[in-house]
Amino acid sequence: MTRNLPDPATDVPPDEEPTAVCAHCERPFRSVHARDLHVGEVHEAEATETERERYERVIETERDDLWLFHARTVVALGVVYSTTVILYMVVLGQFG
Amino acid sequence: MTDSPDGGWRRAVGRAVARGVARVGPWPLAVALVGTASAHSGSLGGAAASATVPTWLTVLTGGVVVGATFLFTTLLTDHDAMRSVNWSRVALPAPALARRALVRGCQLVSVALLGLVFVTGLSGTTTPTRNFALLFVWTGWWAGFTMTTYLVGNTWPAFDPFRAIAGVVRRVLDALLDGSAGTVAPDRTDGGTATVPASPAPRLPEEWGVWPAVAGLLALVYVEVVSPIGSNPRSLALVVAAYGLVTVAGAVVYGRTWFDRVDPVSRVFLTYGRVAPVQRDGDGLSLRIPGTAATEEVLPDRPGETAFVVALLWVTTYDGLVATPLWARLVEPVVGAGVPAVLVHVVVLLAGFALFLGGYRLSSRAVRERAETYVAVDEIERWFAPSLVPIAAGYHVAHFMGYFLTLAPALAAVAASPFAPPATVALVLPGWFGSVKLACVLLGHVLAVWVAHSLAFELFPGVLAAIRSQVPTVVVMVFYTMVSLWVITQPYVPPPFV
Repeated sequence: MTRNLPDPATDVPPDEEPTAVCAHCERPFRSVHARDLHVGEVHEAEATETERERYERVIETERDDLWLFHARTVVALGVVYSTTVILYMVVLGQFG
Repeated sequence: MTDSPDGGWRRAVGRAVARGVARVGPWPLAVALVGTASAHSGSLGGAAASATVPTWLTVLTGGVVVGATFLFTTLLTDHDAMRSVNWSRVALPAPALARRALVRGCQLVSVALLGLVFVTGLSGTTTPTRNFALLFVWTGWWAGFTMTTYLVGNTWPAFDPFRAIAGVVRRVLDALLDGSAGTVAPDRTDGGTATVPASPAPRLPEEWGVWPAVAGLLALVYVEVVSPIGSNPRSLALVVAAYGLVTVAGAVVYGRTWFDRVDPVSRVFLTYGRVAPVQRDGDGLSLRIPGTAATEEVLPDRPGETAFVVALLWVTTYDGLVATPLWARLVEPVVGAGVPAVLVHVVVLLAGFALFLGGYRLSSRAVRERAETYVAVDEIERWFAPSLVPIAAGYHVAHFMGYFLTLAPALAAVAASPFAPPATVALVLPGWFGSVKLACVLLGHVLAVWVAHSLAFELFPGVLAAIRSQVPTVVVMVFYTMVSLWVITQPYVPPPFV
């Protein structure tokens, strides 16, 4: 699927050197991780073999981190849901 | 309402039509017409409170729903699947010839209606519920038509009577000055055949961007709140005439730029149209899932584009805020101390706008930090601004749906006979309608969370940075949901001193 939105304008603080830069569109990144993801997502067709391998690796890292994040999300949803139900029980019991 | 019930209600009716605020308008009016002046519980505040859920819990629940929606959307991380939902569309048949004929028809109808508004506004009855100009402008247009711009699609360019008149004026002027000096320039405002003078047209300074429209929107809402144009058809006709003169003159001088960068009304409908299901698609029309068009469009890189969306959000809140008991309590001592009420209104209007804009700026800065990105702050502001539009639309429908339904029978009856209007009746809405309004506000926010989620995936590489980046925006949205739900559940108090 091709992207319809334009490339975003970037603004690097004058006293900072970007950690990584995309070799295809020169967009600067704060981390190599983000650059590698960007190359795989936006420049899939032009990516070199090395870039593809890097992309595979960061995708793997993302997957692991995402699992942990989702586990936390599910716990948070459970807590929010039960707190809300208990809150309603208390309030309606008191006011009803 | 401290004076006699009758006087109080009558003022409320005036304000109701004047301000066009849903929870305000219909109830006192309905009550006044059926003659039971004690039915205070008809307001939305009463409807929400009668469920025995206290207001603070209603407000808190709204915040929880938006927060939980965000948590749910973080589980959806398949970018291709998100795109296939957001990009799905069905092409609608819209042959160019039929479209042009339709636009001409719409223009004729709207110019005729404008004429009728002037005639009934200047010489018709002054009873608000029987005056065509008041009912048509506030119920039919300000409430009803605006709802169609986000629920169906932005048809204002076709209906705008001032755009049509400006096109004719320009052609006449051109013929008068010298037919041969004019050049035919493509101009979408006039079906593509308007002529413009050969001399270079004056241009608005580029650095102003769309700030003139921002100022225009704030001014328009200020006039709507503090002036009697809602209850007095004569002043309404004069204000419409003044607005029309400025618009036609501006459009004749500046052409299409006027509607793009100055005219606040066109910009409001354009902005609302971004979340509508029917969208312009190249040369034709297409039908899309509501809200998804906003995930494919970043605001143009011009000064004031973000400010306009934020201003739209703020004025809908302001409109409700000035009718809350808290506002009355806060303003009375200030005005009592000798500060003119019109000054208080303008200061709060500007200060609130600055607060909303500042809050949005801060959250955009926080997005940049959290996403660990070099994307510029003003780019982030423009990128995510379309996600605020469903919030404004949800809030607008909550305000105006009830108002529109209640007064629609009156409008229909008066429209059938504008010069000899019959006595009108108002529709009395059932009590559960209050919950529908709360649901509209929440639905707008839920849609906004989805739009922001989709836009974040387009802006930041990977999944986690995109999710993390949304936290500041969601905090702002939760806060905003709670504020707007609070305003909506407040009982109506006529704004003092206006």
